[in-house]
Amino acid sequence: MRRMGKIAVIATVAALALTGCGSDDKKENGGSDSAKGPKVGLAYDVGGRGDQSFNDSAYKGMEKAEKELGATIEEAKAAPGENDDIRAERLRTLADAGFNPIIAIGFIYSPAAATVAAEYPNVKFAVIDGYSSTIPKAPLDNLSDLGFAEEQGSYLVGVAAALKTKDKHVGFVGGTHGDLIKKFEAGFTAGVKSVDRTIKVDVQYLTEDPNDGATGFENPSGGKDAATAMFDAGADVVYHAAGKSGLGVFDAVQAAGKGHWAIGVDSDQYLTVDAAQQPFILTSMLKRVDTAVFDFVKAVKDNTAKPGFTVYDLAADGVGYSTSGGFVDDIAEQLNAAAEKIKSGAVVVPTDPAKVK
Amino acid sequence: MNVLRRVLLGLAAPVLALIVAGLFTTLLLLLTGDDVGGFWDTMLSWPKNRNLVNILNSASVLYLSGVAAAIGFRMNLFNIGVEGQYKVAMFAAAVFAGQAWLPGKLNVIAAVLVAMIAGAIWAGIAGILRTTRGVSEVISTIMLNAIAGPLVGYFLAKWGQSTGNSTQTKPIPEESWVGGITIFSDSVTKLYGLSLLAVVVGVLFWLVLNRTRFGFDLRATGSSESAAIASGVNTKRMIVISMLLSGAVAGLVGLPVLFGNSHNYGASFQAGLGFAGIAVALLGRNNPVGIAFGALIFAFLTEQGNLLNIMAGISPDIVAVTQGVIVIAVVIAYEVVRRARTRIEQAAVADALAAEKGAAA
Amino acid sequence: MTSAVAAGETAIELTGIGKRFPGVIANHDIDITIQAGTIHALVGENGAGKSTLMKILYGVQKPDDGTIKVNGAEVSFATPSDAIAHGLGMVFQHFMLADNLTVLENVVLGAESLHGIGDDARAEITRISEVYGFGLDPDELVESLGVGERQRVEILKVLFRGARIIILDEPTAVLVPHEVDALFENLRRLRDQGHTLIFISHKLDEVLAIADHITVIRRGTTVASVLPSETTSRGLAELMVGSELPSPSTEESTVTETVLLAVRDLEVTDEDGRQELAEISFDIHAGEIVGIAGVEGNGQTELVEAIIGMRHLSRGTVTMSGTDITHWTTRQRRESGIGYIPEDRHRHGLLLDSPLWENRILGHQSRPPSVVGPWLNLRGARADAERIIAEYDVRTPGVGTNARALSGGNQQKFIVGREMSGDPKILVASHPTRGVDVGAQAQIWSHIKAARKDGLAVLLISADLDELIGLSDSIRVLLRGRLVGRFDPQSVTPQELGSAMTGAGDDR
Repeated sequence: MRRMGKIAVIATVAALALTGCGSDDKKENGGSDSAKGPKVGLAYDVGGRGDQSFNDSAYKGMEKAEKELGATIEEAKAAPGENDDIRAERLRTLADAGFNPIIAIGFIYSPAAATVAAEYPNVKFAVIDGYSSTIPKAPLDNLSDLGFAEEQGSYLVGVAAALKTKDKHVGFVGGTHGDLIKKFEAGFTAGVKSVDRTIKVDVQYLTEDPNDGATGFENPSGGKDAATAMFDAGADVVYHAAGKSGLGVFDAVQAAGKGHWAIGVDSDQYLTVDAAQQPFILTSMLKRVDTAVFDFVKAVKDNTAKPGFTVYDLAADGVGYSTSGGFVDDIAEQLNAAAEKIKSGAVVVPTDPAKVK
Repeated sequence: MNVLRRVLLGLAAPVLALIVAGLFTTLLLLLTGDDVGGFWDTMLSWPKNRNLVNILNSASVLYLSGVAAAIGFRMNLFNIGVEGQYKVAMFAAAVFAGQAWLPGKLNVIAAVLVAMIAGAIWAGIAGILRTTRGVSEVISTIMLNAIAGPLVGYFLAKWGQSTGNSTQTKPIPEESWVGGITIFSDSVTKLYGLSLLAVVVGVLFWLVLNRTRFGFDLRATGSSESAAIASGVNTKRMIVISMLLSGAVAGLVGLPVLFGNSHNYGASFQAGLGFAGIAVALLGRNNPVGIAFGALIFAFLTEQGNLLNIMAGISPDIVAVTQGVIVIAVVIAYEVVRRARTRIEQAAVADALAAEKGAAA
Repeated sequence: MTSAVAAGETAIELTGIGKRFPGVIANHDIDITIQAGTIHALVGENGAGKSTLMKILYGVQKPDDGTIKVNGAEVSFATPSDAIAHGLGMVFQHFMLADNLTVLENVVLGAESLHGIGDDARAEITRISEVYGFGLDPDELVESLGVGERQRVEILKVLFRGARIIILDEPTAVLVPHEVDALFENLRRLRDQGHTLIFISHKLDEVLAIADHITVIRRGTTVASVLPSETTSRGLAELMVGSELPSPSTEESTVTETVLLAVRDLEVTDEDGRQELAEISFDIHAGEIVGIAGVEGNGQTELVEAIIGMRHLSRGTVTMSGTDITHWTTRQRRESGIGYIPEDRHRHGLLLDSPLWENRILGHQSRPPSVVGPWLNLRGARADAERIIAEYDVRTPGVGTNARALSGGNQQKFIVGREMSGDPKILVASHPTRGVDVGAQAQIWSHIKAARKDGLAVLLISADLDELIGLSDSIRVLLRGRLVGRFDPQSVTPQELGSAMTGAGDDR
C-alpha cells in the first residue's frame, strides 16, 4: 500500500500537469450560414480569446468584418504542448472545412502556415506578427504576414511617460526576452530619452527564454513582482508588454497608490480593467490587430490581398496610443508632434534596445 | 494461471479505466451543456490517412517519453524529470547538429549520441543526489525541470538566431535532415524517419528488462528493495544507472521532430511530452507493449481533440481532462485488478492442494 | 464495565465458528467453552487457525458461521470496540507502545474518557499495578523499560479499560525463561482475582505449567480439550500435529578441521555511532553448525547482515576459506558460496509478486542455472525451480505461481531449497523454521543436517532453543552485541542458556 500511495501521488501530479493548463472558456459556434461574405478561420495560440489584449483585439476586427462584410467566423483554439504538425493540422482542418481566408494569431504559426499554404494554393493565409513568408523557398502568393511597428507606438507612450514622470524614473516590464518584445522596449526607451536623456529607465523581462510564453505572458504574479520592485526603487511610470502578465502590473500600480502610473499594451486596457484601477492607467500602446484582421478579410473579399509582409505602422494607423481617462490630454500637443515626426520620417525609431541612442 | 486469463486480467484495468474516463468526460460535457453527441462523433470518427500518420508520429514520441519514465518506475524510481531532460537534450542536439561539424547522416548519429548524453547527465544529477545525499529523485527532478527551462532559454537567447519574431538555434543543414517515410500516398504528412528510434528503444527495453541480469536486478529492486539488497544488488549503483538510462532515452524524445520537421530548437519546441510520458507509462503499466498502447491512445485522443472545436465547438482542453482521468482511473483499476488476481491465485493454490489431498485420500 | 463473574460459570462459549477466506478455510466447526476465572490455553501449530479465531473473538473479523456467547449472552462484534465494551481485552505479541511516552500516557492513550489523563488515571494505574504485583511506575518512560515490563504495561492497558477476559497472543515468545516465570506469577494473580485468561501458545511445557484447561486446534478446527494433569507435552504435540513429533536429535559430529568462516574482532556501529556489535570472534568449520542464541534485538540481525555484506564493519575482519572478504560486496560473497536464509522472508527472501521461477533467480543472479553471461536463462531457472519444488516438497500448482500465493511454510521451504542450490560452502540461516509448521520444520532440519554432513558450514540464528540444541555443534550466546557464552548442546540446559541470554548468570 505504501508503494500504491507513491504511485497515486505521481499519477495525480501527472494528471495535474496534463489538465493544469486547461481553461474552461468555450465558444459558441460562430456565424450563420446564410451570410454570403467570406468564411474566415481564426486559429489561436494557447490562451486564445479572453486575454483582454492581443487575441481579443483580433476578435474585435473579426466582429467588424462580420458586421460590415458579412463574414462568417470559425475559431480554433490550441491546447498546451503542441508542435508545428499539430498547428498545421488545425489549419488543414479549417481549410478542408472550406474556410478562406485563414488567419493565424501569433508568430508561432509561421512554420505551420508556410507548410499548409503550399498544400492549399486556393486558400489565403495570414499570420499576425508572422514571418511565414520567409520560410518557403519560392514565395507563395496566398501567404501573408501582418506585422506592426510596435516600436513607433511604444515611442509615443515613452514620450508620455517622460512627460508625466516626476521623479525622472520610469520602468518597462517585458514578457519574453525575444525580438518581438525588444521592439517595444527599444521604442519606449527611445521615446523617453527623446524628452529627457537623464530619465532613468528600468527594464525587466519576466523570462530570458524567448520561447517560454507561459512565464512571460501568462504570469500576472511575476508581472506584479517586477512592477512592484520598480515602484519601490522609485519609478513612477511603468509600461508593460507582457500580455496577461500585465494584469499584475496593474495590481502593482494600484498598490503603489496615487502618483504612480501604468501604461497598457495592445488594446485600450483602460476599458477592461476594474474601475478601481482605471485612475492609474495613463494610456495604452495600441496595436491595431483588429485593423489588420479587418483589412485582410476585406482585401481577400475584394481580391486585393497582398502576399508577403505588410507592416501596420503609425502612418497606416496600425499602432498608436489611447486617450481613455483623459490623463494624457494635457500633453496631447507634444504627443502629436512626436507622431508627426515619425510619420514624416524625421524620426526613425530603433527596433533594437542596443541601438537606442 | 493460464495465459488467456493472464492476458484478460492485464487488459481489464486499462479497459476499465477508459470506460470510467469516457463516462466522466460525458458527465462533464453534460454539466457544461456541451454537445455530447458531437464530442463522441468527432472523437470516434475514423481519422483521415494524414491524421493516422500524425497519430503515429505523436505516438512514437510519446512512446520514447513513456519508456524513459518506465525505466525508473520499474525500480520504484520516480523520474519526473523527463520533461527537463528532453528539453536540454533536444537543445544540445540542435546546437550540435546545427554546427554541421560532421557531414550528412554522420551528423545525425553524432547528434543522437549528444542528445542521449545530455539527457543522461541531466537525469544523472538527480541519481547522484539521491545516492550521495539522499535527496528524493521526485523533488530533484522537478527542480531540474524548473532549471532546464531558463537554462536553455538563456543559451538560446545568447546563441540563437532570429527570424521574424522567433528565436531559434542555427538550422540543421538539409543534408542531415531525416526525411519522412511515406505511408499513405495520398497523405501530405509523413512518418518521421527517427520515429523508428521508438521501435528500437522498445525492443531493447523489453530485451534488457526481461532477458538480462541487469533487467532482473532492476525489476527486483522495484518490487522489493530490501530483497534486492539481500540478493546482492548494489542498489545505489542501480539507481545511478537507471537514472542515466532513463535520461538517455528521454534525450531521444525531441529528435524525431528535430530532424524530421523543425530542423532547429526554437519557438515551435513542443513542451509537456515528459509529463505525458509519465501518464503513458502508468497507463501501459511500465510494460514495453503496454506503453505502446498507451502512447497510441494518447496520440489518438490528442489528434481527434484537435478537431473538436472546429467540428463540435468544444474546447480541446476537454481532451486533457479525459487523459488525466484515464491516468487516475488506470492506477486505481490496476490496484483493484492486482488484488483480484492475488485472490484468484490463492484460490488456485488452495484448489490444487485440495485436489492433491483428495487424490491422496 | 462488566461485573466480576464467579468461578465455575462460563465466560466464553464458541459454537460452530467457521471463517473462510478466498481459497482458504481458516476455521471450521470450532467449539470451545471457557470457564470464568481460569487460564485456558489454546494450542496449535503455526497456521492452525489460532490467530484467525482470536481475531474473531476480539471483533477484528466477523465469523461466517457459528455463535459467540460472552457470560451467557450471545454477542456479535463488529469492531474491537464492541469486544472491549463486553469486557474483553487483547495483549498482542508485538507491543503497541510509544517509546517516547510514559507508562501513564501509553495507558490512557485512547481511553482518556475513563479516568482522565491526570491524577485519577495515575491513581488507577498505581492501584492496578499494586493489586497484581506489576511494579510499574506510571511516570517512567516506556523506552527505559525491559521487555517483561513492557508486556506488563500492555496487560495494564487492557485492565485499565476494564477487561475481565484477557487474550494473550504468544506472550512468552519475546521473553527469556525467568521473565516467563514472572509473567506466569502475574497471570496466576489475575486469575485468582477472578479474571479469565486465554493463553495462546505453541510452547507445550509452558502451557502445561500455566493452564487450567487446554484446547488443541489443528487444521482450523478444535480437535481436543484436555486437562494439563491428564496429558504430557508429547501427548499434546501429537494432538497438535496429528502424528509423531519430530524432535531435533544430536547425531554423530561431522565437524572437520577446515575453517570455512572466520570472524575476528568484528565491530558494527549504527548511524549514531552506537555500538551494536563488538569483539565478535568465532570460527565455523566445514561440517559444523554454530548456533547463536539470544533474546531478539541483541545484535543477531546486525551479525547476519555484517557477514552477508549488507552492513559496514567499523572494525574487524571476515575471512572465508582463508580469503579476506571483509570488503567484498554482498554479491561477491554470495557468488563465492554463502547461502542466506533471511530472518524476514517477505522483506529479504522473496519477490512476493513475482513467480517462483523468478524467485529462483533472486540471490543467484550471477550463477548458473539462472544465467548465461549477462543473459537470464529462463528455461534453466524454471527447470531448477521445478527441482526445488519437488525435492523440498513445496506445495504449489506450478513455478508460474506468484510467491505471495504460497503459505509461509512453503515459501520458506522454497527459500531453503534455493539457498542450498549451487553447492554453498557456508549457510547463514536466520530463524530457518520460524512460522513454519511442524512437518515443514522437520524437512528443513533434515536438509540442513544432510548438507552439514557434506561439509557445509552453518551459522544458525534461532529463537527456538530446541532447534538450537538439536542442530548445533556448539552454541554461542549473544547479549547486548557481544558473545557472552559458549555451550555444548549435548549438556546445556534451557535454564543455563536462559540465564546467559539475560545476563542473569555469572559474569562470563
